[in-house]
Amino acid sequence: MKSFSAFSSVPARLVLGAAAAFSLLACDPDPDVEPAEPIVETKTVFVVNEGSFLQTNAEISSFSKATNALVNRSLFNAANNRPLGDVAQNMAVRDSTGYIVVNNSNKLEVVNLRTFRSLATITGLKLPRYFAAASSEKGYVTETISYAAAAGQVSVINLKTNTVSKTIAVGKQPERLLVVGNRLYVTNNGGSTVTVINTETDAVEGTITVGDAPNSLVLDRNNRVWVLSSGRVVYDASYNIDYTLTSKGSLSSFTPGSLTASTRIFSTNQSQPGRLSINGSRDQLYYTFQGGVYRLSINDNDLPATPVFRRRNIYGLGIDPQDNTIYTGLAPSFSTAGKVVRYRNTGAAIDSFNVNIGPNGFVFY
Amino acid sequence: MIPFYAQRQLVFLRKASQLRGLYSFLLLLSGTSAWAQSPSVIDSVQQLPNVRVEGVKLSRFAVGSRVLTLDSAALAPYRTGSLTDVLSARTPLYLKNYGPGQLSTITMRGTSAQHTAVLWNGFNIMLPTLGQTDFSLLPVSGNTQIDVQPGPAASLYGSGAVGGTLLLSSPVRWGAGLRATAQIDGGSFGLRAGSLEGSFSNQKLALRTSLSYRQADNNFHYSSPELGGTVRRRQEYARLWQASVAQDFTLRVGQRGELTAALWLTDTDRQLQPAIGAASSNAQERDQSRRLTAGYRLVGVRHEWAVRAAWFEDVLNYRDDSNGLSESEVHTTQAQAEHTWNVASTFSVRLGAEAQHFAARVDGYGPLALTENRYAGYGLLRFDPTSRLHLSLNLRQALLPGRRPPLTPTLGAEWQLLETATQTVQLKGNASRSYRAPTLNERYWRPGGNPNLLPESGFGYEAGLVHTVRKTPAHLMLQTELTAYRQLVDDWVQWLPGTTGVWAPSNLRKVRAQGLEASTQLTWKPGAYQLTSRLAYAYTQSEKVQGTLNDTDPVGRQLPYVPLHTAAFTTDHQWHDWQATTSCTFTGYRYTDASGLNFLPSYFLVNASVGRTLVLTPTWKLVGLVQGFNLTNLDYQSYLNRAMPPRSMALSVRLAWR
Repeated sequence: MKSFSAFSSVPARLVLGAAAAFSLLACDPDPDVEPAEPIVETKTVFVVNEGSFLQTNAEISSFSKATNALVNRSLFNAANNRPLGDVAQNMAVRDSTGYIVVNNSNKLEVVNLRTFRSLATITGLKLPRYFAAASSEKGYVTETISYAAAAGQVSVINLKTNTVSKTIAVGKQPERLLVVGNRLYVTNNGGSTVTVINTETDAVEGTITVGDAPNSLVLDRNNRVWVLSSGRVVYDASYNIDYTLTSKGSLSSFTPGSLTASTRIFSTNQSQPGRLSINGSRDQLYYTFQGGVYRLSINDNDLPATPVFRRRNIYGLGIDPQDNTIYTGLAPSFSTAGKVVRYRNTGAAIDSFNVNIGPNGFVFY
Repeated sequence: MIPFYAQRQLVFLRKASQLRGLYSFLLLLSGTSAWAQSPSVIDSVQQLPNVRVEGVKLSRFAVGSRVLTLDSAALAPYRTGSLTDVLSARTPLYLKNYGPGQLSTITMRGTSAQHTAVLWNGFNIMLPTLGQTDFSLLPVSGNTQIDVQPGPAASLYGSGAVGGTLLLSSPVRWGAGLRATAQIDGGSFGLRAGSLEGSFSNQKLALRTSLSYRQADNNFHYSSPELGGTVRRRQEYARLWQASVAQDFTLRVGQRGELTAALWLTDTDRQLQPAIGAASSNAQERDQSRRLTAGYRLVGVRHEWAVRAAWFEDVLNYRDDSNGLSESEVHTTQAQAEHTWNVASTFSVRLGAEAQHFAARVDGYGPLALTENRYAGYGLLRFDPTSRLHLSLNLRQALLPGRRPPLTPTLGAEWQLLETATQTVQLKGNASRSYRAPTLNERYWRPGGNPNLLPESGFGYEAGLVHTVRKTPAHLMLQTELTAYRQLVDDWVQWLPGTTGVWAPSNLRKVRAQGLEASTQLTWKPGAYQLTSRLAYAYTQSEKVQGTLNDTDPVGRQLPYVPLHTAAFTTDHQWHDWQATTSCTFTGYRYTDASGLNFLPSYFLVNASVGRTLVLTPTWKLVGLVQGFNLTNLDYQSYLNRAMPPRSMALSVRLAWR
């Protein structure tokens, strides 16, 4: 038919050519999910990537200390062929099982650490934050419940059946928790106390007053518990920080069994200290403050005035218990790859590698 | 985890052709810039009484740009839907859609959601707080025509016309008499919708009233990957309710004057669909917009004066379990005055000024109401040295509080390279500077808002070729258009967390967007059968080329949620009283983060409809239409981990009087 000679026109040819080319060009990239390799104990570092809020893109990356290389950037998906969930807040290990707290999916993912395959999903939690195991049978999870709630809770998890066996009311916005002997210490970040729970009876034994907004805690070699508090940040009616009312951060310590702590106050309220960590021999404390990583010995009388090193956007901190290498997770924004930068104990940078969005913590396995 | 106030802020930040009747040829004439801008078509294609002088349309100054027009016939099947529905089915534009009826924002020519200006009757209706438009909040029924003009055109359309512009309007059809239609729709997942439209026009007065209503449960099934395999779950918490009332009024005052007024009320109440795998925080959003505009135009033989004013009220109230209620209300008052001098039939000059006043009461700005004024002056020039060569030179200078954006000129040209009895070839091109004023949130949100932000500025240019073939005996017309463009946008704004964890926007980077747009449209009417088919393809490459020290996003990576390839293929068939349409759209893979770590796979979506018109009496007609969506039952996502509906259908019955 004569009219279709129109297709021989130059622009029409271009368009048809483009359409043909496009069918070749329009292929998707290869999904960058490496098959999960067997995980080597004592040589693996798991990086908890929080992901971006409301996008269900939390992930765990694995890094090999044997090869000093990232093994799998998206380990959970590679092993289980599904996303981990929305906002991975924390990961903890008991024996050869990993427990990943997925905050905005209200769940705990339980994985076999050798394969990273899912063993169970514990659902029905209420904005869970951190997990700690007391034994092979029993674990605890802190839960915010809601940011408007006056009190948070700790759920007791039966690690044999992977179910919630009971809940214990604690203070407002409970964060990190620590098991020492037969006691569980829970930092009540929305207040200024640590709740003490007997792990045999699950009864609250009492509370220890520390600084405002405790956020993290560790146990030292002398069996003393250290609690870091960020200080209470107060906003004015215009949502600007009111520094006349904002309290300073503090570092408290106490011995298990005692309900009183001794507390040291930081020099300024312009920055909020956080992420208290301890080295392998459990005599050096590390934390983030004023855009850097600080260190003090458990025997030091004064808080350090200068950091080991400074770094913008630190979002996660971990100290390798084997060699005291400092791992920092950087989250420059929540729409771009996070980065892990490793430092020697002297503060000299070793190397860095990209992970997923929002690396907020490390597990040395 | 991000502190809750930042989450709320983030939530706010996140807070994104043609069915042809008998008008096919007319549509082709008006639907492409090549023809719409020829000197003979100064205004409406309608018959005019005697020698009435019509005003010069703004599009006359948009020489050298590509324009796609969706007219009332093209919009008809979507009259109870939203702009998201029609744009994503009929054009290769990519809308980042959080679910059916959920937040839906656009990216044109590789730019962000804040870089597409949306104008209603000549006034910018982008939400001043977020500086973007959620196309799910704009019901189709409010207007009868949508013009899509890709590319920077700030000199014509002001702030935000960086990646492109959408013009919503309801052109008057004079002397059409009294008409009315009533329609009801029902469909999958609890869809219930209806519309009522009435219009009257003689040679002096034109009125149009349009009411529409839509509700949906959106309780569709989706696949949720969980322990033990994929689980089929029913979407929860995605119900919505939407209504629109539009009233247009045009009165001719004497032989030279014209008084216009329009009212558009929209109200949307929706539950915000949670992400797959994320807990629902029972988030709910209520959006209400009240828009009113009035104007007067006096048209002489050589001189033309126009004044227009507009008043908008935009309410956005958001609530969820974690953060409670966050309210915002913005009143925008705008005024424009302009004078056009038609020096000769080939030479027009327009000078105008615009003032905008924003009064915002937003929880995130603190307890006090906040105001901001913006001004702009513009000069537009159209000159046709010969009947084959058309030129335009437009300038706009905006004044923002504390900052002066660059002078934004546009130079455009069209040249009829070849003209035979059956074929024409036209070359066109333009170069343009553009700007985007910082949004109210970017300046005033607390904490974090940065009053010292510079306006973003763009410089872009494009060149294109239009080839048209007409075979009169076969009633065939084939129009093919190819455009290549490039644009650099500097001082691109992004929110980042600072050292104290507070998110703040800053001018971070320079982005280069470049690409190709190709389309070809065929209209063929061998007899009772009539076909219109359009194939459009866009190749869009957009990446950061330069950044400040604080900007850790990598350079040279395709921006997130900008597909490299998009295409749309539509066909419209008519045979006696039957009509059928098909629409097939392709959306290429999109990175979901700035580093290109992860992507969402590409997808083909197929929609189709079949309808029949029953003539009951000479004045009454009944039209039945069955529409099928996602016919291949594809499991796809437009935005990461937001479920989209599987195969679904809608049935509509429309009763038309005249």
